[in-house]
Amino acid sequence: MIRIDYKQQIYHLIVFVLIQIPLLYKLVLLDVAFGFFYVGFILFLPYGISRSLAMIIAFFTGLFIDIFSNTPGIHASACIFLAFSKDFWHDIIKGESDDDIQLDFNELGFIGSIGYLLPLIFIHHLMIFSIENGGFDGFGLLFSKVLYSTLYSFILVFGISFLMAPTKRSL
Amino acid sequence: MQNLLLFLYRFRTFGLFLLLEGICVWLIVSYNRRANASFLNSSNALAGAINAFTNNTSDYFDLQKVNNELLEENKQLRIQIANSNLLHANHDTINTTYDFYEAKVINNTYRRSMNYLTLDRGSKDGLEPGMAVINQSGVVGQVKATTPNFATVISLLHRNLLISSEIKRTQTLCTVQWDGAEPKGAALKFVPRHIPVQIGDTVVTSGYNAVFPDGIMVGIISELNLADNDVFYEAKIDLAVDFSSIDYVYVIKNEMKAEQDSLESVTKSD
Repeated sequence: MIRIDYKQQIYHLIVFVLIQIPLLYKLVLLDVAFGFFYVGFILFLPYGISRSLAMIIAFFTGLFIDIFSNTPGIHASACIFLAFSKDFWHDIIKGESDDDIQLDFNELGFIGSIGYLLPLIFIHHLMIFSIENGGFDGFGLLFSKVLYSTLYSFILVFGISFLMAPTKRSL
Repeated sequence: MQNLLLFLYRFRTFGLFLLLEGICVWLIVSYNRRANASFLNSSNALAGAINAFTNNTSDYFDLQKVNNELLEENKQLRIQIANSNLLHANHDTINTTYDFYEAKVINNTYRRSMNYLTLDRGSKDGLEPGMAVINQSGVVGQVKATTPNFATVISLLHRNLLISSEIKRTQTLCTVQWDGAEPKGAALKFVPRHIPVQIGDTVVTSGYNAVFPDGIMVGIISELNLADNDVFYEAKIDLAVDFSSIDYVYVIKNEMKAEQDSLESVTKSD
């Protein structure tokens, strides 16, 4: 049964997507690392919601980002791919589950977060930068962009999710 | 039977995936193809308004620098006035084919492989797609799309923008195109090997394509290579404009552009 915590999803939307907009190309480190932490919104969509719904949400999220970066379709295509593949990847990392899971830091855990977030963010960034680059020419620069941006975005998403997670009191 | 239904159900999701990705591919391809009126770029009303707002808040930190740039430009203009004689003034009636509009840059990228700027002026102020954009130091780019209040500009740092230019000293026609490597330099193409080009030569716009007036600074040649079997030099230039700090630009309208283009397209079709 689907029990989505809408309030949490709206928090995610505000923190990950709306705050990203003015910072889209401002968070640049060393000329190669771009911080696209809005992917967190898509990655933390609940596990088990209809994949079609997730893809449509991802499509509009990506398009929204695209409008601000003058790249119609590029962010959207990568986001759709994330929404399509995130539950498969979650199955591999955390094991298959019949329940619907509210994805957040507490649910994933420290190691689980790394295993779940890092590869997906890497694929997302690889898609964005190689499409924008129009192929794989200039491979060294492209790959360093992808690699450093992945690490940078991962740290941002990881940090934000860590800060947003409700504190769990262990008895 | 159940397996078939399950398969169809699976396929429905995958079909939606392919459909959405197909839409994205169509968006990407159609956006790169031409100067289009697509609303999916940073000149649309919502994005423009948000960009203008964030830019307003960060503006105050740049005031000192902007003032210095304006002072410098004023000085240059005064020198030009002082040096121009009355004979020159008589030609003004012929030379007024270009109109200038000043605009403020409210969004600018320069570290991506395709860069754009957003201006706070749009079709209401007379801007149209295809117009040239310069600032006090040189060529900045070309207007791609406009809305009533905002305009998106293809930066010179965009690999699809070719600028018809010439080497000032030798008057050699050549083309400037960004190579995607770094925001300070670009590639200089189609300089024939028999031309005695030197490092340090100035590259300016040629005025052959009805977009840029002639003689606007593009950059200075910084690197020259000529392999034995090459027809053209392999050259690089340092761009005159510092793309990391553009605050105000001028948009140039060529009143004769339509006339020149239509004439050229007639001869082209022969």
